[in-house]
Amino acid sequence: MSTALRVEGLTKRFAGVIANDNVDFDLRPGEIHCLFGENGAGKSTLSSCIFGFYRPDKGEILLRDQPVHIASPIDAIRHGIGMVHQHFVLVPEFTVLENIIVGTQRSGWRLNAAGARQKLRAICDGYGIDIDLDAYVWELPVGRQQWVEILKTLYLDAQILILDEPTAVLTPGESRILFDIVRKMCARGMSIILITHKLAEVMQSDRVTVLRKGRVVATLDTPETSPDELARLMVGRDVSFTVTKPDLEPGETVLAVEGLSARGFWGDPVLRDVSFSVARHEILGIAGVAGNGQKELFEVLCGVRRPAAGSIRFKGEEVAGMSPRSMMDRGVGHIPDDRFREGLVPEFSVAENVVLGWQRSPKYRNGPLMDNKAIGGLAREMIAEYQIATRDELVAAGKLSGGNAQKIIIAREFLHASGLVLANQPTRGLDVGVIEYVQTQLLKKRAEGFAIVLASEELSDLFNLADRIAVMFKGEVMGIVDPRTTTVAEIGVMMAGRRNEAAASKERVSA
Amino acid sequence: MIRFERRIEATALWTAASFAMAVAAGLAASAALIATTGADVLQVFGALLEGAAGSPKALATTLVKATPLILTGLATVIAFRAQIWSIGQEGQVLAGAMGGYLGAQLLAGLPPLLFFPGVLAFGMAAGMGLGWIAAVLRNRFAVNEIISTVMLNYLVVYLLSWLLQGGPWGETGGTISYQQSPMLPGEAFLPALFGSSRLHAGVLLPFLAAAICALVMSRTPLGYEIRGLGYNPEALRHKGVNIGRTVTVIMVASAALAALAGAIELFGVAHRLRADNLLGLGYAGIIVGMIGGLSPIGTVFAGLFFGGLASGAVYMRVLGDVPASLVPAMQGITLFFFLCAGVLARYRVVMKVAVQ
Amino acid sequence: MSQLFQEAIIVSLLASTIRIMTPLLFSSMGELITQRAGIWNMGVEGTMLTGAFTAYLVATATGSLWLAVLAAIVAGSLMGIVIAFMTATLRVDHFIAGLGLNLLAGGLTLYCFQGYIQGRAQPTFSGFQDVAIPLLSDIPFVGPVLFSQRALTYLALIAVPAVWFLLYRSRYGLELRCLGENPKALDVKGLSVSARQYAAVMLGSALTGLGGGFLMLGFSDRFLADFTAGRGWIVVVALIAGNWKPRGVLIAVTAFAFLESLATHLQVVGAQVPHQLLLALPYIASIGLLMGLRFRSGQPARLGVPYTRE
Repeated sequence: MSTALRVEGLTKRFAGVIANDNVDFDLRPGEIHCLFGENGAGKSTLSSCIFGFYRPDKGEILLRDQPVHIASPIDAIRHGIGMVHQHFVLVPEFTVLENIIVGTQRSGWRLNAAGARQKLRAICDGYGIDIDLDAYVWELPVGRQQWVEILKTLYLDAQILILDEPTAVLTPGESRILFDIVRKMCARGMSIILITHKLAEVMQSDRVTVLRKGRVVATLDTPETSPDELARLMVGRDVSFTVTKPDLEPGETVLAVEGLSARGFWGDPVLRDVSFSVARHEILGIAGVAGNGQKELFEVLCGVRRPAAGSIRFKGEEVAGMSPRSMMDRGVGHIPDDRFREGLVPEFSVAENVVLGWQRSPKYRNGPLMDNKAIGGLAREMIAEYQIATRDELVAAGKLSGGNAQKIIIAREFLHASGLVLANQPTRGLDVGVIEYVQTQLLKKRAEGFAIVLASEELSDLFNLADRIAVMFKGEVMGIVDPRTTTVAEIGVMMAGRRNEAAASKERVSA
Repeated sequence: MIRFERRIEATALWTAASFAMAVAAGLAASAALIATTGADVLQVFGALLEGAAGSPKALATTLVKATPLILTGLATVIAFRAQIWSIGQEGQVLAGAMGGYLGAQLLAGLPPLLFFPGVLAFGMAAGMGLGWIAAVLRNRFAVNEIISTVMLNYLVVYLLSWLLQGGPWGETGGTISYQQSPMLPGEAFLPALFGSSRLHAGVLLPFLAAAICALVMSRTPLGYEIRGLGYNPEALRHKGVNIGRTVTVIMVASAALAALAGAIELFGVAHRLRADNLLGLGYAGIIVGMIGGLSPIGTVFAGLFFGGLASGAVYMRVLGDVPASLVPAMQGITLFFFLCAGVLARYRVVMKVAVQ
Repeated sequence: MSQLFQEAIIVSLLASTIRIMTPLLFSSMGELITQRAGIWNMGVEGTMLTGAFTAYLVATATGSLWLAVLAAIVAGSLMGIVIAFMTATLRVDHFIAGLGLNLLAGGLTLYCFQGYIQGRAQPTFSGFQDVAIPLLSDIPFVGPVLFSQRALTYLALIAVPAVWFLLYRSRYGLELRCLGENPKALDVKGLSVSARQYAAVMLGSALTGLGGGFLMLGFSDRFLADFTAGRGWIVVVALIAGNWKPRGVLIAVTAFAFLESLATHLQVVGAQVPHQLLLALPYIASIGLLMGLRFRSGQPARLGVPYTRE
């Protein structure tokens, strides 16, 4: 059988680290071929090499069995390869049309939009994509922004489409529409490379290639494999995806939030009338598609963002509008979602990061100077206790992997917090082993009597860990449900904006 | 085409090599500049060296010239390390001299042990006020500090110009105005060291200031916050550091150092308030601080180097031919090559051959 | 004061506003192009100074004003190459690159100037004269204000709509604005980001240099140290005040020029204010203006952010 695209023996190194090791891969015409693996397994590197974003150190790329040289994305585009990046590459201030045509016009001085408009109309009609070409991209919901990305590739006559984690930011409903469009493309002879780490998505493909640590582990026909087999191949060992959570009776209320609202930079509401409470020995899960107010909620709770209205009571004291300093001093720990930007100073050493925020604490000072000996000792303790893989405590935190960086943050926050830990996406982008470790640590804190607020985009995390799950949509809590009595489908509906009145009112009464 | 790839870890040797290359390139470019005027390059460099370090007198001049450069350089280091791009040093130097002059009038008659610390404090306070204004503009009104400090620099220049011409401090007597104040009384001159006529006691202060800066930057919580602010202000904000207050502390401290330079120039060198010996010191300090690698110790060396150049330039001028502004030109050129070298040290240059 | 005298003063005030605007307009349109391409160029002052000095050099050496104009443009675009090399290739912090350029230009121009005159009396030239447009310049009031200006002033006024057209109606403008908002969107289409940044900065700096050149050729007959006296910084402020839009920048530049014109006229009529205060007016106004401008909706999203693929 002829192939649409074939990769032979591709090797790519970054600064001495091998990202792709002798990778073989082939794509048949009209198929959806999934690249499956953990973060850092080499999926994105491989696709970036195919798209000409990186140049492989070794190996060959063949299109329709002809070797081709792809030195830059322009070669890839010329050969009919298109790519939809995980983080959309759009200009929010441009219209849909401008985003699509920028950089594609080859002649003439004046902008020529008329021809482009006609071609796009035909494409949209063919795929049933209903989009206003003159809308500004910032006006569009995330699902439609992805359509713009897809239109960009179709406008350039792509025959092979690479989709990098396309459903990461979509609601289940939006994902279904996406797969409808993708299947129509296959029916027209296009071939799709689908990059994902989600098992549910893999099962929608025709074939799957599993990558682990830069190597191809297996290429399988999807109908002939099972999620369990794929998970095992991805991690390289048997994995129990559930950590055991002991039943604990919640204690007194630690954090009570009532009618909390906040506004964004332009005065737009980002949190609307949010109410919930968390007690000792309890983990409150926050579910929701990224960008529905979770981040803002955590920012308000840890004092970085000022609330517009509402009350936050921590251990009975009103703390709404207090500074991060005051919240930290009262014992609130915070694990932010953007670890290298908000949780760490990457240029600082591991030791310096362990005391970040507590650098003025008398514990770490020797008169006016910082007590480097005490800080170093503490850091070595933390490295041992949290199994942080680093040469020593003097290595810059930015040089560590995401998982080890996250462990520094967890070590620091657990060390200094008392009573409440706010954890926003603490396991995002981490390896399975580290995820298990982080989850175990959170449960340990729960057993110690902490109250924990935990947001995650992976529903399975929340089902494993949370005692109750609050679902957020556009800054509002759609309802708070008990994971033992709810289903993924029910939460999915709430994530898409359907209010669960029963769950919401139940919570009001109980709180 | 040339591409730059980030190195895994900059080796000390490679860093040293790239900065040595920058010095060499800077000297080569300067030599080319000198050659355009038709002067003998070797002779000019020889004169520079002779004037910088050829005699005790030359060394004394070098120290005196380096003093304000090191202080304004340190002012730059503190601010730039926190990624606060204040270029208000220029105006703060003037403010330091003006404040010192005001102090000298108010404190006249005090014993020297009270008088000199007093007038220097007056000068520093004036500069600190200026730094505080820029900090408020940044914190409260989100005004970019580069622009605000440039504007403030011009305002200070006009203020000084008014004070000396038309205002209360001008030298009166002649029919023409000289844009300068009357001479300070002899007891307001900073005492001389080693009986030398030019080496005043103020030359010790930059070394003291550099030592304190080095200690503060590397060992204190404030230094930790300054460095952290430069690397990642967002993480500091999340971890309870009051960014606005820290920025204010940094800008005020930086201004105090720059103003000290102006006050020392007034009491140690010029002995009267005038603009022309102060103008440019702040901008030169930016160069000195950056070439010093934004480290206090490096700044001392860079300050001594450019102080030596300035001292040598005085001697060189006796030879004629070469314009007096060779030093600022060399400063600018050297800074440019240092900026490039800083990148070279962190990146690997990859020559990409175009492939068909 | 008689009616006639009053009117003459107002005409003169406005006419000089337009004249003072000219260099600022060229330079701010140049800087607008540069900044819309994402390069936060703080080296305007140095670029204008270099343009002015080059114009002086060529005007006194050859006697040709138009050759001097050309030289200022070339000098400006050379400064643009330096800025582009530092920001687009070396990825030096944009502020540092601009500051470095200013310091370099300040030192080099002074050195070259002193090397050029070599102690002799400074050569001078006679600059551009007014070109009255026939018929239009005869219109009362409007004529002397608008249509009796230097030739380049007319060009500067045309530059505003020209830059608007370039930015919003040409395909180059779409790409240029894309550089400022999200350069990766061009990169993923296989287009060179740095080549476009070089082009934008060179074009922008050429205009900026022209502004400096006109400052020399239209107002003066000799060079002196710090000749531009902060006008480059006024340009940077005008960009922020004008919210990075051609029309907004035009309004901001007009306001600054009016202030400067007002200051000189107040001096002439002998107002009882220190002249230093009048000279300081634009700088005081700048600070006041920036204090009131906290929301900058027009600021390109990636202004001043060096582009890397990672």
